[in-house]
Amino acid sequence: MLDVSDLVTAYGKIEALKGVSLHVESEKITCLLGPNGAGKTTLMMTIAGILQPRRGSIRLGGTELVGLSPARIVARGVALVPENRLVFPQMSVLENLLAGAYQRSDKAEINVDVERMYTRFPHLRERHQQLAGTLSGGEQQMLAVARALMSRPRVLLMDEPSLGLAPLVVAEIFSIISELNRDGTTIFLVEQNAHMALQVAHQFFLMEQGRITFKGTPGQLAEDEVIQRAYLGTRRTAG
Amino acid sequence: MVDFFQNTIDGVMIGSSYGLLALGFTVIFGVMRRLNLSYGPSIMIGGYLGTVLYLNHGAGPLVVAGAVVLGAAIAGVYVERLCFAPMKAGAGIASMVSSFAIWMQLEQAAILVLPRHTYPFPPLATGATLEFGPFFVRIDHLIMLVCALGLAAAVQVTLYRTRFGLALRAIIGHPVAAHLVGINVRRAMLLAFAAASAIGGVAGFLVLAVDQQVTPMFGMWATLKGLIAMMIGGLGSVPGAVVGGLLLGVIETHSQWYFGPQFRDLIAYVVLFAFLVARPGGLFGRAPSPDITTPQKA
Ligand SMILES: Nc1ncnc2c1ncn2[C@@H]1O[C@H](COP(=O)(O)OP(=O)(O)O)[C@@H](O)[C@H]1O
Ligand SMILES: [Mg+2]
Repeated sequence: MLDVSDLVTAYGKIEALKGVSLHVESEKITCLLGPNGAGKTTLMMTIAGILQPRRGSIRLGGTELVGLSPARIVARGVALVPENRLVFPQMSVLENLLAGAYQRSDKAEINVDVERMYTRFPHLRERHQQLAGTLSGGEQQMLAVARALMSRPRVLLMDEPSLGLAPLVVAEIFSIISELNRDGTTIFLVEQNAHMALQVAHQFFLMEQGRITFKGTPGQLAEDEVIQRAYLGTRRTAG
Repeated sequence: MVDFFQNTIDGVMIGSSYGLLALGFTVIFGVMRRLNLSYGPSIMIGGYLGTVLYLNHGAGPLVVAGAVVLGAAIAGVYVERLCFAPMKAGAGIASMVSSFAIWMQLEQAAILVLPRHTYPFPPLATGATLEFGPFFVRIDHLIMLVCALGLAAAVQVTLYRTRFGLALRAIIGHPVAAHLVGINVRRAMLLAFAAASAIGGVAGFLVLAVDQQVTPMFGMWATLKGLIAMMIGGLGSVPGAVVGGLLLGVIETHSQWYFGPQFRDLIAYVVLFAFLVARPGGLFGRAPSPDITTPQKA
């Protein structure tokens, strides 16, 4: 579905992505793991069109996304739930959802989708007139996900949705991720919480210092000793 | 007592022009969180366009008004393309400094085209007045007040009831997130900039019609009055812009009455200073945030 190949993105002279290639399979959950500063957010922002790559390509189905504006990329069916959520704090929950549908013009269908979001995220229905900035962190994350879904994406990108949230809320977010995927949404997820990711994702990539250093299934990931030590916190055995 | 009320009425009338100027400023500042010092000079360019049509082609008030508004909007777009569109997020100072450079450029351009210091500008109601008991109101002043209230309402409705307004408020909230939901941020900013300059053009036309003359210094005057009114009323607040303008006008007329014309501006600056110290966000606004692109805390 989404094919990234040989992607290089730089901030000034410093290359944050040094030739990244990966594949996000249709209707699956693909997870990108990696330490802070590896370049995960840079990759997400490049796919979404906020950052321009030096070279490489990003294809959705058969269409090249590199060079398109963020608005065009949303219209093609890619929506990003950004790191730190970035809800519109001075707008109501409902207005945030409507902003998520900005590229669409099918008014009746938009209202149907708002209703769907309220059903999936009951908290949002209760607070639909409340300013988004006054929601709790978990609720803001739900809103950010719902806002992204309002564009009816073919691929949903999520950048560390569990960041800074309490364990119970994290569990809720992950159950929503599974649910969305069961309903047919393709998901490309960035996480540092490898334990949670192992429970939902079908395919893993590991990124370190701007490069993909591992690719595999959950089984392969759990077996890899280096990854176990670094990301799953397994105690180093003596000898 | 009659004097006090008459002065207050006059202050409100004069102040409505400040309010209009502040309204345009507020739209730019609200959306971009950046100061456009060339705001007044853009309006002055519109004024010169109006005066040229008036002098050379005998244009009537309506055509002149249209020319001022259009000229201000075009000059505004020119400023946006040069000083604001190319600047990266967080480069607010660069935008401000370059808008100062364009200010000088626009002023020089006006002097080159029309080298005399002042040029006549067509009046709107030739100073005719309405009487309300013991009080007098100039008709052109009344038009100014109606325009200020009407345009402020229009801006508010646009912001809160239209798709374009939703886009602008999204940009105000988080420019990156606005991109991510598919808003064409650059185009929306350019449109907002043009609309704000056009509002300034309305203010410019009305003030110039009262003054019946235009000078290159009008740009500086418009930037100053608009800026002070916006600061008093509240950074980024639409009602604040109008209230700030009216308040500034009332303060000025009373200062002039009680202390003489030489104190008029002095006292206005003292009040501005007091506001900056006591309420940096102005009457209606929130205190300015460091930068619009600062990400929210997790
Ligand atoms: N705006 C920026 N300007 C310069 N360098 C940046 C910027 N954003 C990120 N970087 C650098 O790029 C690298 C990758 O960052 P990022 O993509 O945020 O990593 P991750 O999301 O994996 O934590 C880091 O070294 C970071 O310091
Ligand atoms: Mg990150």
